[in-house]
Amino acid sequence: MAEASSSITEKFFLTLKSSDGDEFVLEESIAIQSITIKNMVEDGCSSSVIPLSKVDTETLIKVIEYMKMHSSTSSNEEEIENFDKKFVSNSINTILNILEAANFLDINNLLELCAEAVANRIKNKTPEAVRKIFNITSDFTPEEEAEIRNETPWAFEGNLDHSLD
Amino acid sequence: MLIFLASWVGFGTLNRSRGLHGSRSMETHIDFVQWLDTDVSLNILMCLKDPADVVRAGSVSRLWHEFVVTNGLSKQLCFGRFPQLSRIARVTELDASAAEPKDVGSSNSNWETLKRDHEVYASLLQAIETSKSCRSDCIGYAVSASSTDNYPDESIVNTLIPRDRYLNRPSYWSSKGHSDPNAPETLIYKLKADICVINEVDTQPFEAYFQPGKPIYSAKSVRFRLGYPKSSRDESDLLQLPQQQPADDKFVWTYTSEEFPMTQENCFQRFNLPEPVLCIGGYMQIQLLGRVQRQEMDDLFYICICHVKVVGRPLSPAFDIEVLEPSREFVLKYNRDVFGCMLQSMTNGGHQESNMPPTPSEGFVLDAGLLEYLLQGYQPGVEPVEWDEDDDDEMDEAGIL
Repeated sequence: MAEASSSITEKFFLTLKSSDGDEFVLEESIAIQSITIKNMVEDGCSSSVIPLSKVDTETLIKVIEYMKMHSSTSSNEEEIENFDKKFVSNSINTILNILEAANFLDINNLLELCAEAVANRIKNKTPEAVRKIFNITSDFTPEEEAEIRNETPWAFEGNLDHSLD
Repeated sequence: MLIFLASWVGFGTLNRSRGLHGSRSMETHIDFVQWLDTDVSLNILMCLKDPADVVRAGSVSRLWHEFVVTNGLSKQLCFGRFPQLSRIARVTELDASAAEPKDVGSSNSNWETLKRDHEVYASLLQAIETSKSCRSDCIGYAVSASSTDNYPDESIVNTLIPRDRYLNRPSYWSSKGHSDPNAPETLIYKLKADICVINEVDTQPFEAYFQPGKPIYSAKSVRFRLGYPKSSRDESDLLQLPQQQPADDKFVWTYTSEEFPMTQENCFQRFNLPEPVLCIGGYMQIQLLGRVQRQEMDDLFYICICHVKVVGRPLSPAFDIEVLEPSREFVLKYNRDVFGCMLQSMTNGGHQESNMPPTPSEGFVLDAGLLEYLLQGYQPGVEPVEWDEDDDDEMDEAGIL
C-alpha cells in the first residue's frame, strides 16, 4: 500500500514528438491511454523522446487535448460529454487525421468516437451525397450501378438525405 | 506544456511516408477508403448499423463496393447482432443460380460468393428490421410439455386455443403436481417457419374457475429459448412424440432470453423481448420457473397455462434454412423476388393497419375473438359470456361437433 500511494504522488513525464518535429511533454498517466505508448513504457523505450512519425503537430495537439480531458479526475461525465460533442464538430479531414492517429496510438475510445462521427456523415445519405462529401467520382458503368439497385432496391427507397451536412 | 526542441530521436521503423499528406492540405474531404488504413476505414463503416446504409456505401464507387463486399460488412453486422447465425455454413440464392448456369472461374467465384453473401445478409437484416412491428402468430404446433397431469384433457395443445374454455370444457395445460415450489416446467413449440423473427411472447396463466376460490396457477417467472433439434432423426420423431413426454434433451438452444416475472393474474401477460430475436431452426421452449399456487385437495404446487402466443414474423418463403448433416450447420436460402413481394406487402398493409398482420389470417380471427373475450372479462361484475351465447361463426360451427 505504501508503494502504491507514493507512485500516485510522484508524477512521471513523457516527451512525445510529432512528425513535424515538435515535442510535447505529458504526464505518463495521461499518455498511457494510448496502448502503443503504454507498451513502449513497459518495454522501457520511454526514457527518451517518443517519436510519433505518423502524427503531425496539429493532430497531436488534438489527441493530447482529448487524452487530458478523458484522464482528468476533475472532469465529470457531463464535461466529458460536452467536450466530445465539440471535439467531433472538427472538420472531417481533421477527424480523419485524428482517426489515423488514434489507430496508430491504439486509443480505442477516441477511435470509436471519431469513427462514429464520420459514419454519421454517411448515414441515411444518398450515394450521390456521400460522393460529394468525400470528393469521389463514381466509376461504375450504368449497368453496374443498375445491378446493385436491382439486387437491393429497398436500400434506395424512402426518405434519403441529399444534403452535404 | 508545449516545448520545441531541435533534437530528433531516430525511430526509423515508424517513419513511413505516405501519399496522404499532400491531399490533406486541400479544402475538399478525402476519400478515406482510398487513403486510410483498412483498419480505420473498417472502424468507420462498421459504425453503420442499418443494412440500407451498408448497401448504399457499397454503391458509392467501385473501390467502396469492393471494400464493403470483400470485408463482408453486412455479414459481420448480421453475426454481431445474431450470434446464432454463425452456424450458417453457406448461402444460396434460389433464382440467381438458375438464371446463371454459366460456369465462373475459380478466382471469380470467390468474388461471386462474397457478393452473394453481401446481398443476402443485408437483405436478411432488412427483413429483421422491418419485422419489428409485425404481430403475426408464429406458433406452428405444440411439441411437448415437460409434464402433463391428465393427458389428453390437460394437454399442451390446449394452449393454442385463445380461450379458457372450448366446447364447454375448460381449456388449459396443467403440469403434474410437485411439493417443491421451485420445480420448473417447460413447454416446447414448433414455429411456423425454420427462420422467424420473434418480438414478443404472450402467456396467460389459467384461473381454475371450477375450483373453490378460483386459484390462478401461474409461474413465478418465465424465460424463452430458441433453437433446433439435435439430429434430423429426432426431428421426424418429434412429429410422433406423445405431447406429454418431455423432449428438452432433443434440442440445442442457441438463444436464452432474460427472465420475466409473471404475475398471478388471469390476464394475457406480454413479455416484450428488448430486441427482436432471430430463431434459426424453428423451435421455442418456454421455461416456467417456480410455482406459486397449491391445489387444496392434494397440497401440491401446479403450473397451468391457458394460452401461449409467440408474436413476430416467419421469414419464409423469402428465407429458408436447410440443415446439413452431420455438422448440423445451416444453409441459408434466399429468394430475392419473394423478398421483394414480402417488403411490398408489408408497406402496403403497414400504412392501413400498423399493428395487424398484412392479411387477415385464421390467427387474426382467433385474436379478435380473444380480444372480445378479454374485454368482456375486464368489466367488473359481469360474468364472462358462456360458449353457447358466443356469436362467433367459426366457433359455433366447431360447437356443433
